[in-house]
Amino acid sequence: MRNPAKLTIAALLLPAAALAVPALVQAAKPSPVFKLRHDNFEAMGRAMKGTFDEFKKPTPSVAVIQANAKVLAGAAIKVKGYFPKGTGPESGQKTEALPAIWERPADFTAAADRLVNATKAFQLAAATGDLTKIQPAAGAVGGSCKNCHDSFRKPKS
Amino acid sequence: MTARPVTATTLAGTPVRLWDLPVRLVHWCFVVGIGLLWWSAENHRMDLHFKVGLVMLGLVVFRLLWGLVGSSTARFTSFVKGPAAIRAYLAGQKTGTAEHVVGHNPLGALSVLALLGLLALQIGLGLFAQDTDAVNSGPLNFLVGYDLAKEISEIHEVVFNVILAVVALHVAAILYYRFIKHDNLVSPMISGSRVFESEVATPRIAPLWLALVCAVLAAALAVWVSWGLPPFATPFPWDRPAAAAAVPDASSYM
Repeated sequence: MRNPAKLTIAALLLPAAALAVPALVQAAKPSPVFKLRHDNFEAMGRAMKGTFDEFKKPTPSVAVIQANAKVLAGAAIKVKGYFPKGTGPESGQKTEALPAIWERPADFTAAADRLVNATKAFQLAAATGDLTKIQPAAGAVGGSCKNCHDSFRKPKS
Repeated sequence: MTARPVTATTLAGTPVRLWDLPVRLVHWCFVVGIGLLWWSAENHRMDLHFKVGLVMLGLVVFRLLWGLVGSSTARFTSFVKGPAAIRAYLAGQKTGTAEHVVGHNPLGALSVLALLGLLALQIGLGLFAQDTDAVNSGPLNFLVGYDLAKEISEIHEVVFNVILAVVALHVAAILYYRFIKHDNLVSPMISGSRVFESEVATPRIAPLWLALVCAVLAAALAVWVSWGLPPFATPFPWDRPAAAAAVPDASSYM
């Protein structure tokens, strides 16, 4: 004989379980944003090194600098979107992002916008092929990196 | 041609000038330098780290040159011995029949070689290393790609721990000689001289002007490397475009 009470409980539990299981799986698997964010910054690091390496050579390659400027401009516009709520240190994931990013969103947005503008200006300067314009523009990109790191990135340990 | 007296000796109980001034100066500069390099790396004072690293490069190059042309106790040919000599030295130490070694003993020579070699390796790696941003980087970092530089930076960290281990062994050996064998090795490295219980061959001390020549050569090499090896890889600073002055130094913004 079937127990209607048991059936009711099962009927209530099943959808709950169906909802809970993916939620648990999701909790175990970190948001893809962490890796995307990291790779985006690493791409910028590579492009910065690639740029400044050219400055140190006897005959800097404008083409290489232009390619790096394009990478920087493309990566810079993605930065703001890579910091959704819940992707700070409270996520338990390995991250150098400081809570200040979400505590002072206006300041963070301003810092990210400064990077976007600096990389755009650098790309324009690179297009001229004139090293006397390119070098200060690249320096300004570096300045915008530091500006944000100073307030929003965990100091290196 | 006048023959130099080869076997000048010093009587027992008379101080023998064992370590010349350059050897002692370089030795204690290494002690301070390793400490400063560690401290500056831990505290992200990379400006200081680069400067001290460059001085260390000059010091290591100087010591290598001095090991070829310096005083007899500084020369590699006088103290670097094969395994047979090391075994004979150890056997003599056990039986107490060993002659006094004026200078590095055959076993201690290994410590000198290991530390000098590790320092040279570590400085060489540091020239190409970079930090996480790939912007705060050694003077020759621009000659290697991002991934290779990252590998080099990781090895740079590992080698420091190896250096610490060898320094610990070096200090342990000195403590062993001091407290077990009642032989103070530290004070001769400060004063430069020590007294032996028997008549020993007097070390030949090289003139200071020769040390000065070696120091100038070593300093020139260190400065040349710090400029990125001009004119081959990069122009001399005075040949670089004026616009470069408007670019903030990489280390200033990371």
